[in-house]
Amino acid sequence: MNYNWDFASVFDNWWALAVGLQGTLRLFAVCLILGMSLGLLVALGRRAHAKPVRWASTGFVEFFRNTPVLVQILWFYYALPILAPVEISPFMAAILGISLNSAAYSAEIFRGGIQSIEPGQWEAARAIGMSGLQTMRRVVLPQAVRRIIPSLTNRGVEIFKMTTLASVVAYVELLQQGKLVASLNFNPLEVYTVVAALFLIILYPIVRATYGLERRLARSD
Amino acid sequence: MYEWNFAPVFAESGLLLAGFRNTLILTATALSGGLVVGLLLAFARLSHRRWLRLPADLVIEVFRTTPPLVQLFWFYFGLPIVLSVEMTPFMAAGLTFTIQSGAFFAEIFRAGIVSIEKGQWESAKAIGMGHNQLMRRIILPQAVKRMFPSMMERSIELMKTTTLVATVSYADLLFQANELAQKTFRPLEVYTVVALIYFVSISCVSFFAARLEKRFARTGEFSV
Repeated sequence: MNYNWDFASVFDNWWALAVGLQGTLRLFAVCLILGMSLGLLVALGRRAHAKPVRWASTGFVEFFRNTPVLVQILWFYYALPILAPVEISPFMAAILGISLNSAAYSAEIFRGGIQSIEPGQWEAARAIGMSGLQTMRRVVLPQAVRRIIPSLTNRGVEIFKMTTLASVVAYVELLQQGKLVASLNFNPLEVYTVVAALFLIILYPIVRATYGLERRLARSD
Repeated sequence: MYEWNFAPVFAESGLLLAGFRNTLILTATALSGGLVVGLLLAFARLSHRRWLRLPADLVIEVFRTTPPLVQLFWFYFGLPIVLSVEMTPFMAAGLTFTIQSGAFFAEIFRAGIVSIEKGQWESAKAIGMGHNQLMRRIILPQAVKRMFPSMMERSIELMKTTTLVATVSYADLLFQANELAQKTFRPLEVYTVVALIYFVSISCVSFFAARLEKRFARTGEFSV
């Protein structure tokens, strides 16, 4: 147990980790925006009147929730280029896998939020002459989103953690850079400790804020 | 137009089956370990003693807020250096996912225990039960029923998370798929089949979980 921890060799390579962090943040931002907005669309699709739209949305949600996201990323990376004449970069494959997976999860969150709004709200909006879309945009969604902010934040944290999977297809993100530094300096223990600490430092304040938010919302409801 | 050909994949189906078996073994190991660790962590977190509560808080928060893949790498590449032991991929993965799912289970247990009404605690104490007795006979049986849906969800998450071990070359279903894709030059068919295997097995689990939930709901006492 008397191992001498040596973090100096990690900090000497701080720029490599900084490049990785940049890649992580970029992937996170894209997947967060795509995942959430697509999720809202799918949630609306599950409530559509047209049966094919409803079935397609349900199928999408079920499929992406019931398969591992790593399999999805690898499928997009290795399998999709065979099917369609497209070049898939590691970045693209990671975006596709993580965004679609998060879309399926956030669709369920949006659906739950929309369903939780009392029927009286719909009826009242209709009574003053609003159309379905107007009601959704002006009355239902603003209230629903407020209620689901904690769940959506949790989803965001999950997305941030998921970005590490992009290292499997060699996209340059924090963990991938950590692997590189560890293989150059033979110090995996220190490197992975630092990488884990970085994730903790970034995500823990968000997690704490969510706890507080949940408590505040619970009190105001 | 690409011509699908599943024959080479099915010719090697033994490889995938062996991988699926390993996936199930790892899931079962981490699940049973994780439930025990989770229950202990939950008790520690609810304890009045600070020296029990603080370490439990730390473990739970660290394992919930860092990515599982980083944890796996830490246990596989880092931990053997500190302990100077050999770590097999299975051991590293079993350890990582036991503690990781334990951290999540702990929060589920805690929420379930806290959700039991005060009167239950008070009446158990009033008829002279000790803390352990009332926990085992009164609180936990009711709490477990309420926790069931979140438990199932977590277990399914765990099964999906086990795919990460493919990166430290434990021969799970995904790892075998990578091998097979290289061997047959048919990544499209291989990954499609593997995605379907996961989809079907996980859907089956969710289906039975939903049915059990309904049965529990009928016997009452089932809402959080």
